[in-house]
Amino acid sequence: MEAEIATTAAAAILAGLKKSGIDFVATLPDEKMLELIRAVERDTELKHVPLCREEEGVGICAGAYLAGKKAAIIMQNAGFLNSCNALTTTSLQFQIPLLMLIYYAGDIGDRGFTTLGAVTEPVLQAMGFRSYILRKRDEIDEILRGAQILADDSKRPVAVLLTKSALGVK
Amino acid sequence: MMQRFDYLKAIADDAGDALAVCTGWGAREWWAVRPGDANLKTRTLGLVSSIAAGLAIALPHRKVLAIDGDGAFLMNLCGLPTIALQSPGNLIHLLFDNEVYEASGGTSTASRQSDAVAIAAGAGYKHALWVQSPKEFHFEFTRAWKRNELTLIAAKVRPGQPANLPALKLDEIENKYRFMRHLEASEQKSILNPGFDSKI
Repeated sequence: MEAEIATTAAAAILAGLKKSGIDFVATLPDEKMLELIRAVERDTELKHVPLCREEEGVGICAGAYLAGKKAAIIMQNAGFLNSCNALTTTSLQFQIPLLMLIYYAGDIGDRGFTTLGAVTEPVLQAMGFRSYILRKRDEIDEILRGAQILADDSKRPVAVLLTKSALGVK
Repeated sequence: MMQRFDYLKAIADDAGDALAVCTGWGAREWWAVRPGDANLKTRTLGLVSSIAAGLAIALPHRKVLAIDGDGAFLMNLCGLPTIALQSPGNLIHLLFDNEVYEASGGTSTASRQSDAVAIAAGAGYKHALWVQSPKEFHFEFTRAWKRNELTLIAAKVRPGQPANLPALKLDEIENKYRFMRHLEASEQKSILNPGFDSKI
């Protein structure tokens, strides 16, 4: 039952990405996003690029964007912190949009990552990235589409923080 | 030992309309030998290969050159297996190893103790090789171009640039727009539209 909820949530997020026009996805997993990454891996329409470190993903997505792709990166908040230089000196400096789906480790109720959780929103804010927390599964389409429009229009990265409830995991 | 500029000169006439992603001083030199809007100068140390790979994956029919230096290459070693896994055959990765952080004043990198070609081969590049002269570089470059399989061509070079290189007058934004408009024209597709004209 639990696994089924996560699979359904993953399918809904993937569908939401596609409806937003995303056709290129770079990923580095978190256990909580297992089903989502698997869904991206299995999908035959999206170009999927698995990463070794998130910062190179910012570069790969930037290159893909320049060539006409709509790119998203899926990573944990630790990976977001890993990417801050690239997000500044590539994404912001060249005005390149990027939809960032960031698993919010250390979010309220999430054990073991409170240090990471505590710095996530302040760092997003300090970098000037607009960010939205996705908690309810019935908001997936609206938030993903809205965030992608914001990213594309403002030519900046925009963050969607994925929570356990949105991902259907405990 | 020759300088990076000698090597770049040797391939400029055969680079056609390849997209070229450059870093550091190499950018100014490449623009001098192959000017135009198919060139992009990166700013994040290390990301030249990743940005070039993103372009190459998105445009598989188009040749893409990553013009890399040892400082940038070492900064982004984890990007190499990612590129090798995708293995874009249209990407030619050129590495000029002068064993110093040239753009930051010339202090040593760790490259004198490591073998970039072995690293790339170990990461899974189909082809990775050292060349010893601009002539050999040109030969391997045209070979990689025709073979259309992921290749790293590396050369040890002496630091320094020719005198009187013209300054690059583009900032990142102008560089990006010109690069994207050039891609739109040459690929005959629409890429960059203002928000009010967007389709989603």
